[in-house]
Amino acid sequence: MSYLDSLALTAPELILSLGATFLMLVAAWGGDKATRTISWGAVALFAAAGASLAGPAGHGGSAFFGLYTADAFGAFAKSLIYLAAAICVIIAPRWFEVNERNRAEYPVLILLAATGMGMMVSATDLLTLYVGLELNSLASYVLASMAQKDGRAAEAGLKYFVLGALASGILLYGISLLYGFTGSTHYVDIAHEMGGSAGMGALFGMVFVLAGLSFKVSAVPFHMWTPDVYEGAPTPVTCLFASAPKVAAMALLVRVSMVALGPATHQWQQIIAFAALASIILGAAGAIGQTNIKRLLAYSSINNVGFMLIGLAAGTREGVAAVLFYLTVYVVTVLGSFLAVLQLRDRQGKPVEAIAALAGLSQSRKGLAAALAVFMFSLAGIPPLFGFWPKLLVFQAAIDAHLLPLAIIGFVASVIGAFYYIKIVKIMYFDDAADMISPDNGLVERWTMALAAMLLVVGYVLIPWLGAASAQATGALF
Amino acid sequence: MIALAAFYLFASVMIAAAAFTILSRNPVHSVLWLILAFFNAAGLMVLAGAEFVAMLLVIVYVGAVAVLFLFVVMMLNIDLAEVRSGFTRYGLFGAAIAAVLATEVVVADEAWHSGALMLGARQAVTPDNMPNIQALGALLYTRYLYVFEGAGLVLLVAMIGAIVLTHRERSGVRPQKIGDQVKRRPSEAVRIVSDQPVGAGVEL
Amino acid sequence: MITLGHYLFVSAILFVMGVLGIFINRKNIIIILMAIELILLSVNLNLVAFSAYLHDMVGQIFAMFVLTVAAGEAAIGLAILVIYFRGRGTIAVEDANRMKG
Repeated sequence: MSYLDSLALTAPELILSLGATFLMLVAAWGGDKATRTISWGAVALFAAAGASLAGPAGHGGSAFFGLYTADAFGAFAKSLIYLAAAICVIIAPRWFEVNERNRAEYPVLILLAATGMGMMVSATDLLTLYVGLELNSLASYVLASMAQKDGRAAEAGLKYFVLGALASGILLYGISLLYGFTGSTHYVDIAHEMGGSAGMGALFGMVFVLAGLSFKVSAVPFHMWTPDVYEGAPTPVTCLFASAPKVAAMALLVRVSMVALGPATHQWQQIIAFAALASIILGAAGAIGQTNIKRLLAYSSINNVGFMLIGLAAGTREGVAAVLFYLTVYVVTVLGSFLAVLQLRDRQGKPVEAIAALAGLSQSRKGLAAALAVFMFSLAGIPPLFGFWPKLLVFQAAIDAHLLPLAIIGFVASVIGAFYYIKIVKIMYFDDAADMISPDNGLVERWTMALAAMLLVVGYVLIPWLGAASAQATGALF
Repeated sequence: MIALAAFYLFASVMIAAAAFTILSRNPVHSVLWLILAFFNAAGLMVLAGAEFVAMLLVIVYVGAVAVLFLFVVMMLNIDLAEVRSGFTRYGLFGAAIAAVLATEVVVADEAWHSGALMLGARQAVTPDNMPNIQALGALLYTRYLYVFEGAGLVLLVAMIGAIVLTHRERSGVRPQKIGDQVKRRPSEAVRIVSDQPVGAGVEL
Repeated sequence: MITLGHYLFVSAILFVMGVLGIFINRKNIIIILMAIELILLSVNLNLVAFSAYLHDMVGQIFAMFVLTVAAGEAAIGLAILVIYFRGRGTIAVEDANRMKG
C-alpha cells in the first residue's frame, strides 16, 4: 500500500490538522476579533471531516503499516466526536464574550484535540494510541485553564494536568511492559502473544494500561479530577470534556480491550467490572449534596461511564454494541444538559451555576425547565425517556455474559442515583421561585437544546437504525 | 568488566539523584538533581546500545527541559533574598554535580568502546552493522511517518498552548509600531527653523 | 553479566520514586512536575532495555516519541503553573483548595 493510499484513509485527521494550521494563521493575523469567523470555519472543517468518513476513511482498513485502521467502529466514534466538538465550538463565543474575552485559539485547539481523538479511536498500534492520546490531552489541559479571570480555571487546569500526566505515565509504563513482554506494539501481534505464552509481565502491563485509561474515561478509582475540572473549566470547555474526549477514550478502551487484550478477557473482566460498579456507586453517592450543577453533571458522568463499563465487562459483541449505543445517547443528553446550563444567566448576564438558583424555573422559563427535566430524567435512566434504553441494553449484555450480580447491583445503584436527578426536577417545578434566572436569547443554544430534548423523547423510533449502526460498527472489531 | 562497573555506577547514582530530586526542599537543588538523574539514565542507555536516544535525552532534557524548569523556578521564587544569599552555595553544589558528570562521561566513553552490554541472549540492537542513528531514521521517516507527523502536532499544540496561557496584554506599555515608523516621512518629522534670528530661541 | 532484569529493576525503582514524589510532596508543585519527568524517564529506560533485549528498534522509536511528548508536556505544565502563580501568589499544593465537594 502506497503512502497516498494510506493518506486517503486518514482523511479526517488530515482535514482537521491542515485546517487547524490554516485557521491558526487566520487567528494570527485576524486576532481575537476573527474568533467567530474561525469558529464557523472550524465547524465547516468538522462537517468536511465527518463527510470524508463516507469514503474510504470509513471502511478502508489498515493504513501506514498497521498503525492506523479506518473501519466502521472508528467511523461511528468519529462522527459522534465531530458532532460534539462542533457544537462546543459554536456555543463558545457567546460565553467567552460575556465572561472573558474571545480567544481566536479556542477553535484551533479544539480542532487539534479532535485530531488527537481521531487518532485515538483509529489506533491499532500502541504508538498511535499514545501520540493521539497526548495530542488530545495537551490541548485539553490548555483549554481547561484558558479562562484567566476566573481563579478556579488555573487551579482546575493544574489539577487536570498533574493527574493527567500521572495517568499518562502509568499508561506508558504499562505500554512499555506490554511491548517488552509481547515483543510488539501492534494490537494484533499483542493479541497473538496474549493468547499464547504471555506471562506475568504482560498481565502486569495490562493492569497499568487499564488503570491509565480509566483516568481518561474518568472511571473510579481515577475519577477524582472530574468534579474539580468540570467546575473550574469554562462551561463550553466542560461541555467538550463531558462529550467528545469521553467518546474517544471509551472507544479506545474498547478497541484495546477487545482487539489487543481480547485473548485475556477473563483477566481484565474483573478489573473492568470492579471499575464499573465502583463508578456507578460513587457517581450516585457523590452527586448527593452537590450545590453546583456542573459538579453534579461531573458525578453523573462518572456514574454513566460506570454503566458503559458494564457493557464492556460483558466482553461480548452485544456488550460492545451496547456501549456504542449508550455513548450515542449519553452524548446527546450531556450536550443538551450543558446547553441548558449555558442558558442559566442572572440579570447581569453572568452565568449561574448554583442548583438553588433553579427554584421556580418552571414559571420563569418554561421551555428551559422542561428540557432540563428531560435531560435529568434521561441521565437517571427513568423509563419513558430514551436514557433508559441503553441501560437496559448493557444490563441485558451483562446477564447474557453470566454477570448477573453486576447487573443487579448496577440496577439497584441506578435507582438510588435517580433520587438526586428527581430532586433537581422538584426544585425547578415545586419550589418557590427564586427568580434569579433571566431570559437568554442564544438561538443556537436554544434550538440545539430543544432538538436534543426532542431526540430523547422520541428516540425510540431510532432504535432499529441506531441498533444496526452500532452492531455494524462493533462487527469491525470481531 | 568496565561495562559492568559502569552499569552499577550509573544505576546507583541515578537512583540517588532521583531520590534527592523528590526529597530536596529547595527546587533549584531538585532541578540540578534531576539533571544528574537524566545524565545517568543517558549513560545506562548508551550501555544498552541506544546511543541516539541517549544523546537526545541529554540534549532535550538537560539542554531544554531542565533549563525551562530552572527558569520557571527562578521566575516564581517567592523568596528572592534567600536565593541571592545562597549563590555561592549553589555555585559549589553545581560545581560538584558538574565534576560528577564529567567523570561519568569518561566512564561511559570507555565502557562504550569496550562494547555494548549484552542483554539476555541477544547481541546488539542495530541491524546489519548499521549505525544506531541510521537505523532509527530509516524507521522513523518511513514506517512511523504517521506518528511522526502526530508528534509534530503535539509540539504545535504545546507551542500554541504555552503562548495562549502565559501571554497577556498589558495596558500602559508603548510597543513599537513598525508600520507607523516606516510610513513616517521627513516632511512630517522635520521642521526647518533656520530663518529665526540667532539667540531668539525656537518654539517647539 | 547485566541482564534485562537489572534494567527493569532499576527503572521500576525510578517509577516508584516518581509516583511517590507526586504523593509525598505537599510544598511545591514544581517538584511534582519533576516527579512526572522521573516517571517518563523510567518508561524510557524500560523501552530502551526491551529494545536491546528484543533486538527491535521499535522500543527506541517509542522512547523518542515519549521524549518529544514529554518536552511538550513540560512546557504546558510550566505555563499552567505560571498562570496559577500569577493568580494565587503561591505554588504550595495544600493551597489548591478553591473547589470542594
